[in-house]
Amino acid sequence: MSENTFMGVPRDKIDWAPTIDYTKCDYCMECDKFCPHQVFEVRENEEKKLIVKNPNNCVVFCRACSKTCGPDALSFPNKPETTKQIKEIRKELEGNG
Amino acid sequence: MDKKFAVLPCNGLDKAAGSLTREIAMRLVEETGSEIICPVFYRVVDARYNKLAEENPLLVIDGCGTRCASKLAGEKGLKIAGKININEEAKKNNVEIGASLRLGENELHLCDLVLKDILKEEEKEIKGEENVAGAVPENLEYEKFTKDKFIFRIPKEGFYYNENDCWAYVVGNKARIGVTDFVQKSLSDIMFFTPPAMGSEIEQFGEAGSIESGKAVFEIISPVSGMITAINEELLDFPEYINDNPYEKGWIAELKLTDFESDKELLIGFDEYFEIVKRKVDEFHV
Ligand code: SF4
Ligand code: SF4
Repeated sequence: MSENTFMGVPRDKIDWAPTIDYTKCDYCMECDKFCPHQVFEVRENEEKKLIVKNPNNCVVFCRACSKTCGPDALSFPNKPETTKQIKEIRKELEGNG
Repeated sequence: MDKKFAVLPCNGLDKAAGSLTREIAMRLVEETGSEIICPVFYRVVDARYNKLAEENPLLVIDGCGTRCASKLAGEKGLKIAGKININEEAKKNNVEIGASLRLGENELHLCDLVLKDILKEEEKEIKGEENVAGAVPENLEYEKFTKDKFIFRIPKEGFYYNENDCWAYVVGNKARIGVTDFVQKSLSDIMFFTPPAMGSEIEQFGEAGSIESGKAVFEIISPVSGMITAINEELLDFPEYINDNPYEKGWIAELKLTDFESDKELLIGFDEYFEIVKRKVDEFHV
């Protein structure tokens, strides 16, 4: 189970998760084996054998699984933009608080 | 200036990047008198290469992120002196590695570039500035908790944390940064430290180098924004200091702060971090 807030912001408001480039992925499943947060899901009988099932389980700013990916098929949002996004949401929340 | 290495390439045959590791290894043999450790043979007979690996600086060459050669070095408990990842080199040098298994013009060009880099590497010494944030107290007071056979220490005072298990200790307009016990325990034996570049500007939560064990690579997520003014050079030779104590002699780098007042908003103190890390340890097996 993952946290439902990150830095005081509801996790589902923060855009941070891996994106799989299916033209590169060779379904070695190293990323899924590595990540302890059940972000990925393996679907043996489908064309896309791996999907990002629970993007909100992904730890914000973590990019660890991409370093296990041989074909370099995983990408992430831009960090400074995500930081900016978090700050803005916090401001909004304060305003309403 | 002939630098002799024990070279451990992954020698992956099913990708051009793997074949490139072999090409580079062969070039090093020819040009510097280095010797190759064959990963296939090494798996079967350790004794064959133990002496070679002990007596020479070990250069590990991985083709891709699967890091087969690094993992092998980790399993065998070898000390890594230098490290190359072909996919990363390709990106860095803007060279596209083709789909063919054979080495073409592009691949051989990349081979030249990487070789040039290896051979000049020893000349460029990282020049350290004086450690200004040397003010981290020597006898830190820790709060501890245990899980199975592991003890986790978290310093009680003066440290800021992010939720990615990195810390900052701020003195004036400078900060020292590092990782917490959670990181070093999850990675277990740390074999290699890639420092951030001296003088580079890092945004808050940007990457400040990485550390690596046989298990995984951990990207150090800087809690603060600023310019790198010092790195812990001792870690280049003794990355295991991070396992010994990631707050004291295992610190990572120092930065000149750009906007700590604003960074601070997104950092937490001991109380909050201690709760978070306890929860993390309970949720995942380390
Ligand atoms: S590690 Fe990379 S190639 Fe392997 S399954 Fe994951 S995304 Fe695909
Ligand atoms: S970035 Fe980290 S948390 Fe997110 S999917 Fe990859 S390993 Fe899991």
